[in-house]
Amino acid sequence: MNDSVVILSIASAITVAIPVLFAALGEIIANRCGVMNLGVEGMMLMGAVVGFWAGIETESLTIAMLAGGAAGASLALVHAALAVSLRVDQTVSGLSLVIVGGGLSSFIGTAGEPGVLSAPNGVDVNPLLPQSLRDLPGVGPTLLGQDIIVYIGVALVGASAYVLYRTSAGLAFRAVGEDPAAADAAGIPVVKVRYLGTMIGGFGAGLGGAYLALAIVGTWQNGLTAGAGWIAVALVILSGWRPWIALIGAIMYGVLNGLGFSLQLADIDIPSDFLRMVPFVAAYAVVVAISASPARARKVAAPAALAQPYARESR
Amino acid sequence: MTGRLRVVPRGFAGPAVRFGVPVAALFVALTIGAVLLGVSGSDPFEAYRTMFNASLNGWASLTRTLALATPLILTGLAAAVAFQMRVYNIGAEGQLYLGAIAASWIGLFLPADIPAVLMLAAMVAFGAVAGAAWAMFAAIPKALFNADEIITTLMLNFVALSLMNYLIFGSRSFWREPQRAFPSGKRLPDSAVMPELSGRLHFGFIIAVVCAVGLWWVLRRTTWGFEIRTIGDSPTSARYAGMSVRMKTIAVLGISGALAAIAGVSEVSGVTKGLEPNALATDIGYAGIIVAVVARSNPLGVVPVATFLAAIATSGSRLQGIGIEVEVVYLLQGLIFLTVTAGEFFVTNKVELVSTDADELPNDNGTPGAEMTGAK
Repeated sequence: MNDSVVILSIASAITVAIPVLFAALGEIIANRCGVMNLGVEGMMLMGAVVGFWAGIETESLTIAMLAGGAAGASLALVHAALAVSLRVDQTVSGLSLVIVGGGLSSFIGTAGEPGVLSAPNGVDVNPLLPQSLRDLPGVGPTLLGQDIIVYIGVALVGASAYVLYRTSAGLAFRAVGEDPAAADAAGIPVVKVRYLGTMIGGFGAGLGGAYLALAIVGTWQNGLTAGAGWIAVALVILSGWRPWIALIGAIMYGVLNGLGFSLQLADIDIPSDFLRMVPFVAAYAVVVAISASPARARKVAAPAALAQPYARESR
Repeated sequence: MTGRLRVVPRGFAGPAVRFGVPVAALFVALTIGAVLLGVSGSDPFEAYRTMFNASLNGWASLTRTLALATPLILTGLAAAVAFQMRVYNIGAEGQLYLGAIAASWIGLFLPADIPAVLMLAAMVAFGAVAGAAWAMFAAIPKALFNADEIITTLMLNFVALSLMNYLIFGSRSFWREPQRAFPSGKRLPDSAVMPELSGRLHFGFIIAVVCAVGLWWVLRRTTWGFEIRTIGDSPTSARYAGMSVRMKTIAVLGISGALAAIAGVSEVSGVTKGLEPNALATDIGYAGIIVAVVARSNPLGVVPVATFLAAIATSGSRLQGIGIEVEVVYLLQGLIFLTVTAGEFFVTNKVELVSTDADELPNDNGTPGAEMTGAK
């Protein structure tokens, strides 16, 4: 395997990691305030179709990404209404989001003139840094040759880790996910925090979907995410609800996802169908392995009130 | 006098509520769908009329609908039996593929001239075992380490899909027709094809209905079924009563996987008549989750609900005649899932209008009906 193969593989692994990273970060934030949202796949699809559409209409990457995020957040609002206000089973509500997001996104995909489904990409996603930096050996094409969204993604990891663990707002936020009754007694508006957390989660998934459509796939097609949203959900468990670990996990996913491409360049022949299984087998194995390891070895615990609806008792 | 809505948890929901709420939710979903169709420039009444005529009006359309309902009943039962125990099997899609792979293998392997009864029985048995075995990859980690079955079953779906694609598109396997240039499955012998009932409707429908009745009987009339439902309601008290949750988790996921796999057997034997990945991978496994939720996990409810959803799905292709894209079908399925999920709130709670002249409490949660008269 020569150097250019390694460099190309690393560069593509980072790009592919970003949609899953956005979605996993969002889900970590939602989980941290006690809301489990399994609808990541659906929210990513909504972000993808709306982001792609906004890209066609405005030709602006910023607007397209924000539109994708907003679409994800809107769908998350539905989950918040069902799971927080109506207190229905969060698993069922999250699954309904997957189906709704899949259905609504494919419906939106048929709209517009020309239809979103057949339209070419409206925005170019270009490297951020000047050519001189990108020409640096090694780090140039891999780390410095990425587009702005990649750097924003990494910055958001740091920002969310800081806010969650180093600020009083983050503490209040986590308190809602650990013990909503105590948080309520301390004057934290539990319902508002949970709505906010759920919608931030949806925004993250929407960003991920939009980036996937705009920068990686380059078109809109029904079911574009092909399981990436579920990988993000698995990644949250793998990360132990910690943003920096999620970043590492996302890049690992990127590497596994690009394995076929890398091996092909290196003239190693493995049937492509088996290569396509790799990320899913890995996610399966990791989830089982984490469950099987003793709690002390895991050093993590899910937020104590995860997926538990909160109803204030009568006073 | 001003009024205020108050939410009171129901201790017990009567049959009128349990049946009425999902039906009302269906109407709400169809209404939202009509509004969205109107907004996107189509005539919703024409659309719904076309859908009704294409799916339920007349014997030919009805058999087409029931043919599509057949696998949907089975995947719906697969999801329902697991839901009864609050285990979430999202893996029906992959288990369906495994059923199709195993059934087509035995169908091609056995001599073509053996009696059809034997052949079909072998296919159903093989398929069911394969689906149950595939479900064990999720069931055993769940039983031993409480590994999240939602994630594991889902990941296994993608693995199963790639496996099925490999057998036809990625290799010259036993399943693939060697003569044809375009990759396709070997055609099953006539003895391995489900007998036709009428039009597209085949014997698989009978199997599906028998499975529904059988599952209902097991869940409602046997001690084992009672234990499953008790574990679903309260795992702690079930353990106190000496019930083995682990073994039942494995058994329930096994049955669930077997039912989903029989859907695959029915499709490969009655519809595609050979292992055809693209014709088999149509999200019927995922749609089964909607069926189970709308039917509130009642096996007998699964049959009409699957038929209703199949009616929506079969009519999709006819909508193109009046300028509406097939995608509206997915939209309606999603809306139905959503409204029925929301409706669950009205099954477990009563909303009543009370006078605000009485005791005044600040509604500081910012949501309607946030004042709770009892904790869940």
